Amino acid sequence: MRQVAAVLGILWAALNVVLALLFLVSSFTAKTAAKEGILAQLALLIGGGLILVFGALLARESWKLMSQRTVA
Amino acid sequence: MRLAAALVALVGAAILVLALVTIAAQQASGVQPFSNELSDNIFFARTIPFVLGAGVAFGMLGAATAMRARRAKPGEVRRFSRATVIGHWLITLGFLLALPTGVWQYLGGILDVNAPISLYLFYRVHYIGAAIILFSVAYFLTYWWQTGSRSLLPPRGEWRRHWSAFAGELPPQLGRIVGRALRVEPIRSDSPPGQFSYYETAFSFPTWTIAIGLITVTGLIKALRYLAPVPGPVLWGASTLHVAAMVLLVLKVLDHLRYVFGRWPLVKAMTTTWLSEQYARARNMG
Repeated sequence: MRQVAAVLGILWAALNVVLALLFLVSSFTAKTAAKEGILAQLALLIGGGLILVFGALLARESWKLMSQRTVA
Repeated sequence: MRLAAALVALVGAAILVLALVTIAAQQASGVQPFSNELSDNIFFARTIPFVLGAGVAFGMLGAATAMRARRAKPGEVRRFSRATVIGHWLITLGFLLALPTGVWQYLGGILDVNAPISLYLFYRVHYIGAAIILFSVAYFLTYWWQTGSRSLLPPRGEWRRHWSAFAGELPPQLGRIVGRALRVEPIRSDSPPGQFSYYETAFSFPTWTIAIGLITVTGLIKALRYLAPVPGPVLWGASTLHVAAMVLLVLKVLDHLRYVFGRWPLVKAMTTTWLSEQYARARNMG
């Protein structure tokens, strides 16, 4: 059970890292955000950065969970 | 009491089903020239009162069953009631459906790309998820109101102590920043926090409340426009805050998973309702 949860956790973290990268890249390149102004771009940049950090933390915790031995 | 609550839940469920069937039949009659997307928007908006009503009815049932539950058994303490566990997994399902589809709608607009699947199907799944979340919100609010449970929050007058202890549990540098932001001194508290940790009472639950409250209110305003006129600036504000709440929820889900994966007995407790007494004592949880 622990392992299944850990794998799902890593998968979820990976998806979120991809999402974070899309946010970060879009903050510089997306036309819609550029048209909406600096605040929209900043929101994407900060949101993407935070998602990246939290995604990495979840991946680390999931990895630790997967490596743990089940105590009988 | 339990019988009466079960009866109320049954009536709530029956009214919801009846409403869904009636609204679906009206929309499928072809009288209105609605597109798939507009039809889904209106269907969702019209079902909201019935979904909320059913949530209230089932919340009453959850409260009635929780009040009679055992508090402890040898070697274990009850961390959650069965009603809480059911509500938790239900709202999880809602997020699993609504969050990725919401993110896709937002990103699709920002990146100006279209998926090979029609957009209205994303909206449809999003609305199913949103309906489950609305049901769960009504369910939990009624459940807490009926049981009088406040264990998710610091006791009255103890917010600052919980904030201090929460800041004290963080890595020192981060703890100092959080302490400054909350205007408290980070402390290492020896006194037990109660049923839940300082992190949960001072930070996790309040931020869940803010994020879910914001996404619910702004979502309701966005849905209301299909039933009544909503001023443009209000709609624009609601849409912007809906996206902000979505990002907040993405972060909350990541942080929640990080926290509980590092404390596996808590995950087990969210399925069995029980937490080992040994673990609770070691963690200073009452």
